[in-house]
Amino acid sequence: MEGIVYNIQRYSIDDGPGVRTTVFLKGCPLSCLWCSNPESQNPLPEVTWRYTSCKKCGICVETCPLELIKLDEDGIHIDRKSCDRCGKCVEACVQEALQMSGKRMTVEEVYDVVKRDADYYKVSGGGLTCSGGELLMQADFVTELFKRCRGDEIHTCADTSGFGTKEAMEKVLVYTDLVYYDLKYIDSAEHKKNCGQSNELILSNLVLVVEKGIPMVIRVPLIPGYNDSDENLTAIAKTVAELDDGIPVNILPYHRYGENKYRMIDRKYQLEDVESPTEEELDKAKKIIESYGLKCEISK
Amino acid sequence: MTHADKVHPEEIKNVEVLTLRLRKLKKEWEEAEPQVYVDDTLLFTESWKETEGLPVDIRWAKAFEKRLLECPLLIRNDEIIVGSLTKFIRGNGTLCAMKPHEILEMCESGRFARKTSDTESTKITPEDLKALKEDAEYWVEHMPRVSTVNAALEYDMGPGVFDLLFDRGCVFEGRGVRYKMDRGLFQNFSAYGGGVAQVSAQCIDNGLNHVIDLCKKERERMMAEGDDEHSHGSAQFLRKYWLLEACIISCEAFIKFAKRHADLAREMAEKESRPGRKAELIRIAEACERVPAEPPRNFFEAVQCVRLYHLVCWKESSDRPEVPVGRLDQLLYPYYKKDKEAGMVTPQDAAELLGALWLKIRECENLVTIPRSQRAAPGSLLPNITLCGVDKDGNDLTNEISWLVLEAMAQIKLSEPAIYIRYNPDMDEEFILHALRCNVRFGGGNPAFLNDKLGTERYLERGVPIEDASNWNASGCLGYHLDRMEHVGGGHNINQLKVLELALNNGFDPRTQKQLGPKTGDPREFNGIEQIMEAYYRQLEYFVPILHKVKMLSLCTEITDGPMSGLRCAMQYEDCIPSGLTPKEGGARYPEGRTSWLGSRGMVDLADTLAAIKKIVFDDKKVTMAEMLEACSKNWEGSESLHQLCLNAPKYGNDDDYVDSIYDELSTHVPEIMQRWIDPITGKKPMLFIGAAAGHVVIGQSIGALPNGRTAGSPTNDAACSVMPGMDVNGPTAAINSATKKAYAKEFVGYAMNMKFSKNVLNTDEKLKKMAWLIKAFMARQGWHIQFNIHSREELLDAQENPERHKNLLVRVGGYSAYFIDLPPELQNEIVQRSMHDRF
Ligand code: SF4
Ligand code: SF4
Repeated sequence: MEGIVYNIQRYSIDDGPGVRTTVFLKGCPLSCLWCSNPESQNPLPEVTWRYTSCKKCGICVETCPLELIKLDEDGIHIDRKSCDRCGKCVEACVQEALQMSGKRMTVEEVYDVVKRDADYYKVSGGGLTCSGGELLMQADFVTELFKRCRGDEIHTCADTSGFGTKEAMEKVLVYTDLVYYDLKYIDSAEHKKNCGQSNELILSNLVLVVEKGIPMVIRVPLIPGYNDSDENLTAIAKTVAELDDGIPVNILPYHRYGENKYRMIDRKYQLEDVESPTEEELDKAKKIIESYGLKCEISK
Repeated sequence: MTHADKVHPEEIKNVEVLTLRLRKLKKEWEEAEPQVYVDDTLLFTESWKETEGLPVDIRWAKAFEKRLLECPLLIRNDEIIVGSLTKFIRGNGTLCAMKPHEILEMCESGRFARKTSDTESTKITPEDLKALKEDAEYWVEHMPRVSTVNAALEYDMGPGVFDLLFDRGCVFEGRGVRYKMDRGLFQNFSAYGGGVAQVSAQCIDNGLNHVIDLCKKERERMMAEGDDEHSHGSAQFLRKYWLLEACIISCEAFIKFAKRHADLAREMAEKESRPGRKAELIRIAEACERVPAEPPRNFFEAVQCVRLYHLVCWKESSDRPEVPVGRLDQLLYPYYKKDKEAGMVTPQDAAELLGALWLKIRECENLVTIPRSQRAAPGSLLPNITLCGVDKDGNDLTNEISWLVLEAMAQIKLSEPAIYIRYNPDMDEEFILHALRCNVRFGGGNPAFLNDKLGTERYLERGVPIEDASNWNASGCLGYHLDRMEHVGGGHNINQLKVLELALNNGFDPRTQKQLGPKTGDPREFNGIEQIMEAYYRQLEYFVPILHKVKMLSLCTEITDGPMSGLRCAMQYEDCIPSGLTPKEGGARYPEGRTSWLGSRGMVDLADTLAAIKKIVFDDKKVTMAEMLEACSKNWEGSESLHQLCLNAPKYGNDDDYVDSIYDELSTHVPEIMQRWIDPITGKKPMLFIGAAAGHVVIGQSIGALPNGRTAGSPTNDAACSVMPGMDVNGPTAAINSATKKAYAKEFVGYAMNMKFSKNVLNTDEKLKKMAWLIKAFMARQGWHIQFNIHSREELLDAQENPERHKNLLVRVGGYSAYFIDLPPELQNEIVQRSMHDRF
């Protein structure tokens, strides 16, 4: 079985307990305005351009058989609609400024990388995290991968937006030890407006995870001016607390660090004027969550 | 070893190491203008003239004695631990007998370089300058221009040998064999000659009166019964008599040196009006009247004693004073425990005393006489402190002093001493976190973690019994030794990358334009990587016996030439007294120790180079071997894309089996070749050393561009198994996996892993824990030495300029970690800005 993977990060230190390897899967049905991994949204491989490494030598321009690459003083621009992902430009760029983001990999290939760090998982209680993109879009692949881990007693963590079918979620959960579950809005209209989809599936899948009794951490990205209203935070806290007030909530402060990645795939960043939340704003959000008896941490 | 009581971290976390007085002393030292200090060299020479005609052991001992008895003393205002190297707050010592030509040159030019920084010349008064110049002139007149080692090498091996040595071909690098290096009377700068004296717990605990007594008894016994170690009338028998005399002179001089400090303290106490300070001075006087002659009576006296030992060993090891402080926590703990139980000392008292000791150790500086470009370890004085470890029964010996020493390191923030922790998997996780936190507070690189089990096993495998084997500590750069049982010297190295360069050029050295090695075939005609490797092995086989010979000639020449043995013998009294031999002559309990080290440098570069050739020339057939060599010979000029291709080729440190398998094969075959010839001195297999420390800069200068993408003259890899800077793109676990794919550290000593992290990847305990796990896994995989550096602002700036060199630079941004070079310039700037202010 094959999946489309756009990055495997070893010694990933923010994606769950212990030392972990995070497999980033490509393709996401949501399109949150603040997404810091825009290259993960498109389910197909795509060429990324790291402008800090580009020497503007123009070799790629000459290489592309479809003549899709243009060079001006800002760097290169690719006509992505017509690109057939042949990868010739990537191969030609000796500066490694061009990369093919997204690669078809078999479960075995991915697992080969994952198990290389088995010694580290063992001493730390770490393991594999599947992130994205949205892993539910590749549920069968993830399930197989997690199953392999279970066989070797490697801990598994699913980092999901919850947007997927019930069947997909059920399948994945069979071999999942921990769920990182993103909640952005409780109000469906707001969710649709800013994340591109309504959130009914997300909320019903949330209940499903709780029912299965799998350990879970709720993660709330805090985007000033978007989802940081008292109202929204209160709704999130309430929803979680009513399900199980033992579920910890983590707040992920917004940052602009994904901004450059838009340029890498010829896209425009939507949230140009938004700043990271201040200490006070974070503290306030934390207090709201805690007022519902929930444990809340701010990721640093 | 004393069993450790449970440590209460809260007691330690609040200690203030840098008390007001220490802060003042530190500042005063930091701001003082460095001065050239000449009294010791003048005293030395004076004594040397007085002892004309006496046996050389006695001459050295007397010269040492004169320095200790007549040098000016300095006790600074408010110092609580005393013992200064010079009479200046910041003085740089020297001995003209070591390198008269170089010192004369400095006198003539009026520029005195110094150890920590060369930006300014060290100051000297006109009178001192005159005296120093005369002193240097005396030694120039009394010394041959070329060092005796070089003369011996030339006599035995012909002038061609210099083509292989440092600064010419640089196939070999050893401190004793530098071409044209001028040495004076004593060859102790060299790897073998002197080695260094070491602070010895055993001596401190027993007192030097005990040692003097043993020497005297042995001499009487010898006179009455003859010597059973050596046949009567042998040279060694006759020598032993003088050696024992030298031991006695040295020990007594040391005791008197301490007493002089006591007298000075009493004199100062009498004049002192502040009652508090008066009491301190009396305490100092009482301590210096007691130690080192007799064992310390309390913790304070023990700390003062360590200071005096370090200072005296430093003076005795004059030109290469890499005096290891040893297992400081084990040494001090029994005294601390006793006093603490009696209510005589608190963690705060201990912290301040350790801080005071720290400053005194750091203060010692010598004039640097080696040109900056040739320095192996610029700025490093290597007074290593070793902590923790398990005893012979497997008990973890971490104690409160271990915690406090780390705290001292973090608060004082001076580059040295370096701290080494003997790591074992049963250590308290809290302690490891404390060590890592201190690492971050300190700014990175300190402490290093060594694999306790592996260190002990290496000795056990050599047949050393567990009691001794478990008592090792870190010494020199990346070395280690047994307290009072081994000779502490260095090793001779073979520059593996140079050997490969020769193989790639059919034995011809492009830099010196000489045929240095045998003709092993023109690689342009090779049709597989195996042939290249074969040619390299044949070059190596040719050079290893020559290296053995060079090493032996250096050592035996120096043994007959430079003694300085009294104090060192006394420190190893249990073995050197009966045998009547100095440690370097084989008097140490385990003589094969560091005398037999052979160094192998540039192994990572070697593997990367072979992998690049295999990939680009033979597998992918992108260029021919001829084209590759042509591009290298032009230092990549006009071949920029081939250069980039070479840089992109598989690199060691990424858990990539393509190159790791080559590294693996080298790591098996190279030791096999290097150990095929037994060590001519010990008659055993040589021990192999792979540490590079800062030697990578020096050896890199002699090597041209190579297919791993290196440019001509650039430094080689900076340590044994670290990854080339910027080349570990798969993260730390991948780097560790490459380094520990097999138990390489068993084969090679000095196998160090340097890892770099940005400060903000380490900002919570949770993340430090992940680093602790890295250490745990590293050790479980039979790694030997690991340390963590924190990125400096300069590095971040360099990454902005040269992103290709910093592909692995991970920074913590917002909620996640990102590769620095992936960030847009504005955000990079922000992080650079922040790196200035980050505080823990
Ligand atoms: S992307 Fe690569 S090939 Fe294209 S211009 Fe930049 S450096 Fe040249
Ligand atoms: S992947 Fe192929 S089609 Fe697409 S831009 Fe590169 S060379 Fe052109």
